[in-house]
Amino acid sequence: MRTITFKINRFDGDRAWTQAYDLNHEEGKTLLWALTKIREEQDPTLNFTSACRHAICGSCAVRINGHAHLICKTSLDEILEIYKSDELAFAPQANFDVVRDLVVDWRPMTERLETVKPWLIPTEDGAADTGFIQTPKDFHKIASPTDCIQCGICASECEQLAENENFLAPFILNRAYRFAVDSRDAAPSEHIRPAFENDLWKCLHCHACVSQCPKGIRLDREIAYLRQESMKMGEVDNAGARHAYAFHDDVQSKGRLNETTLPLKTEGMLKTMRRIPFALRMVRTGKLNPLHFPKAVNGIDGVRRIYAKVKGGKK
Amino acid sequence: MKYGFFPGCTLESAAYELMISTKKVAEALGIELIELDGWTCCGASHIQDISEDLSLAINARNIALGEKLNAPIMTVCNTCTLMLRTAKQRLDEDEEAKARANESLKEAGLEYQGSSDVTHMLWMLLADYGLENLKKKVKRPLKGLKVANFYGCHIIRPPQIMGFESHLNPQSMEMVAVALGAEVVDFDQRLACCGFHAVFPAEKEVMQKTGVNCLSAKDAGADVLVTPCPLCQMQLDMYQPDAQKRFEESIKMPILHLPQLIGLALGFEPEELGIKRHIIDAIPVLSEKLSSK
Repeated sequence: MRTITFKINRFDGDRAWTQAYDLNHEEGKTLLWALTKIREEQDPTLNFTSACRHAICGSCAVRINGHAHLICKTSLDEILEIYKSDELAFAPQANFDVVRDLVVDWRPMTERLETVKPWLIPTEDGAADTGFIQTPKDFHKIASPTDCIQCGICASECEQLAENENFLAPFILNRAYRFAVDSRDAAPSEHIRPAFENDLWKCLHCHACVSQCPKGIRLDREIAYLRQESMKMGEVDNAGARHAYAFHDDVQSKGRLNETTLPLKTEGMLKTMRRIPFALRMVRTGKLNPLHFPKAVNGIDGVRRIYAKVKGGKK
Repeated sequence: MKYGFFPGCTLESAAYELMISTKKVAEALGIELIELDGWTCCGASHIQDISEDLSLAINARNIALGEKLNAPIMTVCNTCTLMLRTAKQRLDEDEEAKARANESLKEAGLEYQGSSDVTHMLWMLLADYGLENLKKKVKRPLKGLKVANFYGCHIIRPPQIMGFESHLNPQSMEMVAVALGAEVVDFDQRLACCGFHAVFPAEKEVMQKTGVNCLSAKDAGADVLVTPCPLCQMQLDMYQPDAQKRFEESIKMPILHLPQLIGLALGFEPEELGIKRHIIDAIPVLSEKLSSK
C-alpha cells in the first residue's frame, strides 16, 4: 500500500513544531480530503479552515512545499506528480500572522483592504434603490476582478509583501482596480491614489500572484493599469514612473535601452552620484562603457511611426 | 537548426559576456543563430506600465522580424522571452488586438502573422537539441562543481504564458547541469525573484533579496550560482557588493550565465566566455574545481 506523508507546521499559540502524519494513498482525492481525514481519524487538535469545498468561499488556502493553493480544488495526485515525492510539507500562508497551525489572522489584511475604498462611489446616473444601466462591454471590465474570493493566495506568494508591510497585497490592488474601472463609479482616483501611495511601483513584476491565483485574475495587467492611471493623475515624478519612461523614450529614440543614462533618467543626478562606486566597479570589469551610446536600429523610422500610430489611435 | 536570435539590450552592454558565450556555445553545438535585423528593446516589463498597446505593437514588430526569417525566435533572457510570448499569446488569441497591432505595423511595412514560435535557449536545448546530443559535445565534464540553479521568475511565471514545465517544481536547469557533469545543489531560493525590475523604486527590499538569494545558495554548499537570465545575473552579481553591506556573513557567490556553464563543459576557458567581466570573481573557484581540461 502506497503511503503519503504529510509534514504539517503546527503552532499552539506558544510552541511551533512540525508533525508528520501518514495516510494510505487514495486516487482522485483533493488536498483538503487529506487534511480532513487526518483531523477526523488521527488528530482532532489539527486546526485549519475550510467551508464550501467548491473554490468559492476562499477559506482553505494553505502552502504546500512553499506555494499557496486553494486545497479544496487542488488534486493530491497532481501535486504528488509535480513534486515526484510521496512526502508533502504543509504550512500556513506566508505574509500573515499565524493563529493556530494552518489558520492565519485576516484582521490586519482586512483593515488594509479598506485603504483603497473597496466600495462603489456611485455616479449620479443611478442609485441604490433605482439601480444602474451598464453596457455589456462595461460589465465585462469588472467580470474578472469580481471573481476574486479573497483567499489570500496572492498575498502569500507576493515577494514584495514579504519584505515590505506597507505594500498592498495583490487582492487589495485588484479591489482598487475593480472599482476604478467600474462605469458606475464616480471617483476612480479615490481607489487609485491609495494604491499609488502605498508603494504601487514597488511590485517586483515576479508574477508569483498571477501564477497561483485560483481564479486566473491577471493581477499583472491590473497593476499596470493602476500605474498608467496614476501617471494620468499627475504622479509622474517618482522612480517607478521615470524608469518606465526611460525605456519608453529610449525605444522611441534609438530602439534600444541606453544603460548609461538609465540611472540618471530614473533617479536624477543627485541620487546617481551615490552610485559612483557601483559605476566604477562596472567600468573596471568592462561592464559599463560610459562612452557607448547605442546607434539607432535599422528601421527606427518605422518604430517611431508605430509609436505615433498607437498614440494617435488611443481612445 | 536555425533560429532568429533576439539578444535583448543587456547583451550589447552590461551582459556583453552573455552575447560572447551564447555565440560560442551555439557555434560549438552547430546551431545557427541569425540576429533579427532591427530588433528593439522588448520593453523589459516596463513599457506596458505606460501603454499596453505600445508594448504589444513593438513586440509584434519584433516577432514579425523573426517571421521574415521563417524560423523560430530564440532568446537568452527570461524577461525578453516573457515579453515576446505575452505579446504572441495576446495576438494569437485576440483578433481585435491583432488587427490593431497590424494597423500599427503597417507603418513599418511589417505584418504579424503568428508563424514563429518564441523560445529560450534553455528550452531549445531540451526540446529541440536534446540532452543526449548535448552530452556528446561535453569535452570537460564539470565533475565536482556544485551548481545552484536560480531560475528567475520570467522563465516559469506565469505558467499560462510560459508553460514549458511546472512553475512549482521546474527541472530543466538541473537536467542541463547534470548533463554537463556538474553536481546540483538544492536551495531555498531556487525559484525566488531577484528583484531586478524594481531595483530603483524598491532598492532596500531588492538588496535584501539579493543577499538572501546568494546566501541561500552559499549555505547549500554551492560553488557557483547559475541563471538563464541576464537580469538575474546582473542583479545578483553587480549589486552583490551593495547587498553585502546589509549582511554580516560574507556572501561572495559567483554568478554565471547558463551559456557560460555550458561553454565550460564544451571545453572553453573561462576567459573565452567573458567570465572575467563579472563583478564577483568566479575564476578562482572554477580553476580549483576544473583544474585540468
